[in-house]
Amino acid sequence: MSDRPGYRTVERPALTLADRLVFPAILKGMAITASHIFEKKVTMQYPEEKWTLPEYYRGVPSLVMDDENREKCVACSLCEFVCPPRAITIVPEERPGGGREEKQPAVFDIDMLRCIFCGYCEEVCPEEAIFMSKEYEVVGRSREEMVFHKDRLYEIGGVRKDPHRKWKNADDEARAQGRGHGHGPAQV
Amino acid sequence: MPRLSIDGVEIEVEKGTTVLEAARALRKDVPHYCWHPGLSVAGNCRICLVEVEGMRGVQISCNLPAADGMKVRTSSDAAVKARADVMELLLINHPLDCPICDQAGECKLQEYSFELGSGRSRFDVPKNHKRKAVEFSDRVVFDAERCIVCTRCVRFTKEITGTDELTVVQRGDRSEIDTAPGKSLTGNYQMNVVDICPVGALTSADFRFRSRVWFMEQTRTVCSSCSRGCNVLAGTRWNRVLRLVPAENAEVNRWWMCDRGRLDIREPAAEDRLAGARLMRGGVQVGVEPGEAVAALAAALAEARAAGGAGLFGLVSARLTTEEAWLARLLLRDHAGSPNLDLLPRTGEADGFLETADRNPNTEGVRAAGIAPAVGGFGLDGFRAAAEAGRVKWAVLVGEDLSGRPEDLAALAKVPFTAFIGSHDRGAAATATVVLPGATWAEKDGVLVNGDGRAQRIRPLVRCPGDARPESRILLDLLAAAGAAGAPDPSSSPAFLVKAMAAAVPALAGLTLGGLGERGAPLRGRTGVARVGTGVEV
Ligand code: SF4
Ligand code: SF4
Ligand code: SF4
Ligand code: SF4
Ligand code: FES
Repeated sequence: MSDRPGYRTVERPALTLADRLVFPAILKGMAITASHIFEKKVTMQYPEEKWTLPEYYRGVPSLVMDDENREKCVACSLCEFVCPPRAITIVPEERPGGGREEKQPAVFDIDMLRCIFCGYCEEVCPEEAIFMSKEYEVVGRSREEMVFHKDRLYEIGGVRKDPHRKWKNADDEARAQGRGHGHGPAQV
Repeated sequence: MPRLSIDGVEIEVEKGTTVLEAARALRKDVPHYCWHPGLSVAGNCRICLVEVEGMRGVQISCNLPAADGMKVRTSSDAAVKARADVMELLLINHPLDCPICDQAGECKLQEYSFELGSGRSRFDVPKNHKRKAVEFSDRVVFDAERCIVCTRCVRFTKEITGTDELTVVQRGDRSEIDTAPGKSLTGNYQMNVVDICPVGALTSADFRFRSRVWFMEQTRTVCSSCSRGCNVLAGTRWNRVLRLVPAENAEVNRWWMCDRGRLDIREPAAEDRLAGARLMRGGVQVGVEPGEAVAALAAALAEARAAGGAGLFGLVSARLTTEEAWLARLLLRDHAGSPNLDLLPRTGEADGFLETADRNPNTEGVRAAGIAPAVGGFGLDGFRAAAEAGRVKWAVLVGEDLSGRPEDLAALAKVPFTAFIGSHDRGAAATATVVLPGATWAEKDGVLVNGDGRAQRIRPLVRCPGDARPESRILLDLLAAAGAAGAPDPSSSPAFLVKAMAAAVPALAGLTLGGLGERGAPLRGRTGVARVGTGVEV
């Protein structure tokens, strides 16, 4: 019993005989468990069974190729800039082939230990080259393994049809106007 | 002197001043592409439109002389609308290149487009396409689609270098810039066109695609490739210097710098940087803790001092900061008693514009700090004969490895004890008794004095590799280990070192690091072109 100010003493409820015997309570619990055996199953046998993910699901960010098998990313580095935890590292280089894209990533790494799956990279990309995939099983045995390099990111991302063909259209237009890429005489 | 009002603020200006310049004097930046403070007025881009009371329509402010009683409005509705229209016209054929364009982030077209432009184009016809990735030279790449034909580059080659290599070809929306057929941009100043191009039409082959500009740290410092000491803005990332561009300084380089200085950014990241100290033991160099190497060198200097110092030769680089040279003098002359101190001259041909004949950045400062043979002593010229004659027992090289100078290296081989404090594993580093890893210009904070006697501050841009440290730190440790009287404390800050040096060296009296500000200041009593200083304590 305490009479310290601010404290209140609570009476213990008196136990009935049934309470004291314990077994009725155990039987009651088992009855509840048993009744579930006949109900519809709601658990899922992961990893054999998997969720169908909703459209808006944000899994690991990934890079995509266009339907002509070209790297869509031009290493503009906006995703690297916008990424809140700085998970992305890009080293740009000149793109061979003389197309208008001119630039491509020599290195494109995403550190999945840092990535918070916010989707900003997809949001900011002016080339529609990076997408949040449905991949969520990110495991690795070392920190290095958790840094996904370009080839792995493309493997996850796969191919996406490019409805805009921004650079290709410009290349085609220029060709139609008789003006190519690279050194040549000024236009007439 | 005309007195006019700009956005309600009155200002009196010199006769001949343009409205745009008057507005800039009031810190109102009227948009401009073709106007450049270092070039003649072309008035072709029309983005600098302002409204002037009593004049019909809108006027280009870059070519409008300020007149008495003029009432200018830089951001009236009519002016802003007119500028927005100019933007729309400029963007009709402009490619959507920002993601791959090096200028993005420091592009005036982006800036004004953000201010004035609309996100949509009203033109749905195919764009007029032009040449891309044209090599104007091995240093400058041109993209005709991005060019807004402001002619800044054309005027640069006409007015500044006089090489007259670029011109506008074609007319109307087909206009673009070109060199004469079969010709390319030439000379040691061609890369300045990259800086002045307000858009991404001219890009640097060296910097192309290396990094987006917004990732780089920008530090104002001084070029170390000749005694002009051009002010530069260094862009660094990944602990590397990726780019140097000129920073305006009316007393030194105005808006320009030479290509040699600009491209001289590889040494700090060279493969053969020294990262650890070494000591010669039984004929082979072994890696040691820096403290051990410092102790070994201090012990040798104690011997030299005991022998009177005449057998000690010190070569102190004119690429070091003034404080470092002063500390070297304290150690080698004032403490160890050597009369034989000198620097290694580097010369080339002065080109009459910026690049000077003296290719050391700090000859003036190092000399002022007292690096020169004393009476009875010998300099670098006398060193060889003295070494051959066996009169040199100790040689200390600070910041100079003598690579590419076989005779000097051969003479050095005759010296029983040699110490090398420097940044690269070259020349004397291979044979020195003591090797201490030093720093390059990109890793130091200190004062350089250019050929006109102007003191300017260089700033550290990157970190040294491994155990390497700026020579000032190493010399301070050596002074402490040698127990030199009157030496500054080893933990002295760069600013304190300058103060201590200024108190000790009459030629540098009054110098403070803070007093140099961004643009440096002439040393006291110096005459020369560089007289108009800022914030000097003299
Ligand atoms: S999803 Fe967010 S955190 Fe992950 S890489 Fe993209 S921007 Fe960075
Ligand atoms: S924002 Fe898009 S195009 Fe730019 S670097 Fe990232 S993925 Fe590549
Ligand atoms: S290349 Fe650049 S500087 Fe030269 S005219 Fe075109 S936009 Fe102006
Ligand atoms: S003129 Fe001299 S100081 Fe200026 S950039 Fe060239 S080398 Fe550097
Ligand atoms: S800045 Fe005035 S017309 Fe170009």
